[in-house]
Amino acid sequence: MQQQVDALRSEALELIALAHDADSLESARLKYLGKSGAITSLSEGMRNVPKEERPFIGKLLNDLRAAVTTALEDSQKCLLEASDLAAFASLDLTLPGTCPAPGTLHPLTQLMDRAVCCFRRMGFAIADGPDIETEWHCFDALNTLPDHPARNELDTFYLPDGRLLRSHTSSVQIRVMETTPPPVRIIAPGSAYRRDEVDATHLAQFTQMEGLYVAEKVSLADLKGTLEFFFRELFGAGTDIQFRPHFFPFTEPSYEIDIRTQVLGGEWMELAGCGMVDPAVFEAICERRGDRVYDPEKVSGFAFGFGLERLAMNLSRIPDIRMLVENDLRFLKQF
Amino acid sequence: MKISINWLRDYVDCQLPASELETLLRRAGLEVAGIDQRGAAIEHVVAAEILESTQHPNADRLSVCKVNDGSSEPRQIVCGAKNYKVGDKVPLALPGAVLPGDFKIKTGKLRGVESEGMMCSAKELRLAEESDGLLILPPETAPGTPIKDLFPAETILEIEITPNRSDWLSHLGVAREIGVFTGLPVKAPEPAQPPTASAGGQVRIEGDGCNLYTLRRISGVKVGPSPQWLRDRLAAVGLRSVNNVVDVTNFVLFELGQPLHAFDAAKISAPLQVRAASEGEVFRSLDGSDYKLPAGSLIIADGNGPTALAGVMGGEGSGVTEFTTDILLESAVFDPSRVRRASRALGLFSDSSYRFERGVDPEGVAIASARAVELILQVAGGSADSALLVSGKCPERGKVSLRHARVRDLLGMSLTNAEIESALSRVGLEKLAAGEETRWSIPGYRRELHREADLIEEIARVVGIEKIPSLARGPFAASSDADAAYDFAMNLRSRLAGMGFHEARTSTLVSAADASHFGEAVALKNPFGEDQSQLRNSLVPGLLAALRRNLDQGAKSIALFECGRVFHPSGEGQRLAIVLTGERHEPSWRGRMERSWDVFDLTGAVRQLAGLHEHDLVSASAPAAPFGACVDVFRNGKKIGVVGQLSPAVGREIGASTPLLCAEFDIDLWRAAASTKTQVTALAKFPGSARDIAFLAPLALPYGEVRSLIADLHEPLLESVRLFDLFIDTKGEKIPSDKKSMAISLTFRSPERTLTSDEIQGATDRVKAALKDSVGVDFRE
Repeated sequence: MQQQVDALRSEALELIALAHDADSLESARLKYLGKSGAITSLSEGMRNVPKEERPFIGKLLNDLRAAVTTALEDSQKCLLEASDLAAFASLDLTLPGTCPAPGTLHPLTQLMDRAVCCFRRMGFAIADGPDIETEWHCFDALNTLPDHPARNELDTFYLPDGRLLRSHTSSVQIRVMETTPPPVRIIAPGSAYRRDEVDATHLAQFTQMEGLYVAEKVSLADLKGTLEFFFRELFGAGTDIQFRPHFFPFTEPSYEIDIRTQVLGGEWMELAGCGMVDPAVFEAICERRGDRVYDPEKVSGFAFGFGLERLAMNLSRIPDIRMLVENDLRFLKQF
Repeated sequence: MKISINWLRDYVDCQLPASELETLLRRAGLEVAGIDQRGAAIEHVVAAEILESTQHPNADRLSVCKVNDGSSEPRQIVCGAKNYKVGDKVPLALPGAVLPGDFKIKTGKLRGVESEGMMCSAKELRLAEESDGLLILPPETAPGTPIKDLFPAETILEIEITPNRSDWLSHLGVAREIGVFTGLPVKAPEPAQPPTASAGGQVRIEGDGCNLYTLRRISGVKVGPSPQWLRDRLAAVGLRSVNNVVDVTNFVLFELGQPLHAFDAAKISAPLQVRAASEGEVFRSLDGSDYKLPAGSLIIADGNGPTALAGVMGGEGSGVTEFTTDILLESAVFDPSRVRRASRALGLFSDSSYRFERGVDPEGVAIASARAVELILQVAGGSADSALLVSGKCPERGKVSLRHARVRDLLGMSLTNAEIESALSRVGLEKLAAGEETRWSIPGYRRELHREADLIEEIARVVGIEKIPSLARGPFAASSDADAAYDFAMNLRSRLAGMGFHEARTSTLVSAADASHFGEAVALKNPFGEDQSQLRNSLVPGLLAALRRNLDQGAKSIALFECGRVFHPSGEGQRLAIVLTGERHEPSWRGRMERSWDVFDLTGAVRQLAGLHEHDLVSASAPAAPFGACVDVFRNGKKIGVVGQLSPAVGREIGASTPLLCAEFDIDLWRAAASTKTQVTALAKFPGSARDIAFLAPLALPYGEVRSLIADLHEPLLESVRLFDLFIDTKGEKIPSDKKSMAISLTFRSPERTLTSDEIQGATDRVKAALKDSVGVDFRE
């Protein structure tokens, strides 16, 4: 019996070792452990073994079954590992991926949203006003003299009914104060229009971001802190910011803001206008509202505005402003 | 305005280099737009006298000159200019000179004749932008004088001046500002001022528009060329020399900012009137053109009619010429808006009108007159009448009170009284009353300072914003409806970009043709051109133009969208539009899936974007141009837009060979109709069961009709209906060509239990029966 078992073991292990695929391994299993397999039938012979020999023979057979089963399992594991490896061997990960390309947001939208997010962190809400404005909202209420050149039909688009296309988003300041009592703390992104010939640096329609903060005791120091924070958020902590005295009819004192930063090319660049709201603007609002909540003796405020096109052009080194409105996909897909 | 640094130094001893001066001026609010170097700092260019000139033997247009360059031997120069005569002094570039533009001069032959240098024009020496022929030097110039001594180098600042600061429109004004910011003393010219006398017999001011008018007579002048120093000063600010008298008036204008005018006294029949022109009155200007004056234009007239358009330009008949011996020198203040209106109406602009429009200093009128008289006597001789004739009077100085607490509050800075007062004193204001509230007298050249806020601005400017602290504080901000609208549109934009669409931004100004398809449009009164004459009433034309541009560039797949404003006579609104054409898939190594974008790609995208049900897209009975076929899009029962395919004619027009798909939405309506989901649906506990039905339907039967018929049955257990196959056989081989085969999957589910097959079969049969009875479909059993 011992010899028979030993012979069967070496025969089975040899056959298993020779099996190089799943099919031959399965036939080896069937040959020894199947219903009519050699080990199975040997086990069935246990019935005829005398009682006193059964423990010994039983152990022999169990060892044999265990050895063959282990060999089968090991071999199967090897085969699986080999076939797994083989599966990856043919996988060429350098082939280009095939997810459909996403679209893009226009560079001006992206820039505007960055600016909006930053001002929102500082507690500004968005305000809005119409592109088609009255002369009162666009000029009169903003302390602009009746014969100021900006009102000229050469410079500003008019409608036959006397309304106009706003030449700056500053008209939104007036819209907001007209309807909302102080404090107001708003930004207003939107279009403005100038009757310019379109060329590499001019569009007749352009995008501005306006801001206004009016409350009790708002000071030039608040204006400075707010805009310095904003521009350093936008362009980095190392950004140089200079406020240069300037003139706007609707703010006093007025400043232009010059920025110098590596992301904008490292040159000083005139970027924004700002100032403390002129008392004459508050007076115009009081007269229109019929109350004194914007009495310049009670409230003060600052306003600012800047154009997005030139900023986008400098940020991305866009050589011609018209690229921003031509919507060439070769351009848009770069953002 | 051009400011000569050398000229500035006549009034303030500021030796800062140009770049530092620029920084100082910027800090003061004067923007330096450019820095130019003038003069001819060029070696080896000398004055030469032309001794003789003969025709070039081989070239009609050239001549051969002998010139004296100051050395013992005459030099031979070939020359193409014609504007000289023998005896003239001209600049001569000797061999070895390098002219601007890196133009090296050497001895060479021109058409066979040797030329030992080149005679130069003003342009070649960069002394002028344009020039005609050789630069003829003054006759007294000694041959051999280096040209760099004749035209010394100097720096010119091109300054941009804000409209509130008319006092900066002169060298003295800029010098004063330098004084403010450097502390250096400013030396204004102090001409001897004559006594004044009433101009009664000589001048009558009629009506308003002129508060102060002065005249001074100078007799026995000799009009002629100006001396070099005067010519140099005018050249530095870009003016040509006219004659010594006119040059002095221009000099004083650029020195003090006060425009002056010199009349030829012999051509004036006194008295002069300062009055409004009557309708149609004609004025002949210095340049000989006739202008029909708009009624109300302020003029200076004598017995024969207008002799000057006040503050803008002198008249032809009364100007100073070489024969003039007696002059009447006008120095006056004209109303800014009157000057501006006349100047605009006639298209006549001058250095005078520029200054009068912005306002001149009434206190400077008499000083400017005295200064000009002093200089005219110096350069043109003659004698001045003893008195200045004055009509009208100089207004009193303005007085402004200032609360120091207000200064500190508005600037956010704790300035001392001394600091506040020092700042205002530096800009020339005189303190009238001391204390926590001071009172200030405003000099004539700063008349624009008339409110407390104006003084606070001056303090901020002089103290410097860099000394003001930066505060970071502010209240909380509640979000506004505009915030919600912004977020709604940004969300649409981001999701569309995620779906593969590219955001475009097109102009709101469109042509009338572009606006014509979309209802009434708002037209501009003064458009820049026909193609930008209307405000868009739809985003579609702009996007189609962008699409066309991309097609022309060879783009294979174009998917664009825009969120933007549109305009109607009734108001403005926010829209979203999408255009789509070309290849659906990029060619890929996975195998070809070539097909064009079709309308179902777009209706599907729209459904996902808006979270719509199939039944929210409803066939429009008659598609409106430019659509060939479209469906109306509803959201919670409100129509928010339209999506469909444009008519092939549009495609042909813009050269699209694949279907043109388009959608446009009113975002305001969309946002108003949007509902926020308030409750989740419970997750199903019991399995659903699907039954597929397939049938032949008439070709013309829309799927939507099948869908709504099933929906109208209100089968309680029917959870969803999904079309999963559609087959049409135009050849009629597999199914008749007038039929289509549809296959629909019906899913049944109960929230309470597992359904029995009898229940499911019963419901399925009812659906089938309804379809058979109502729309006549054949089931393929």
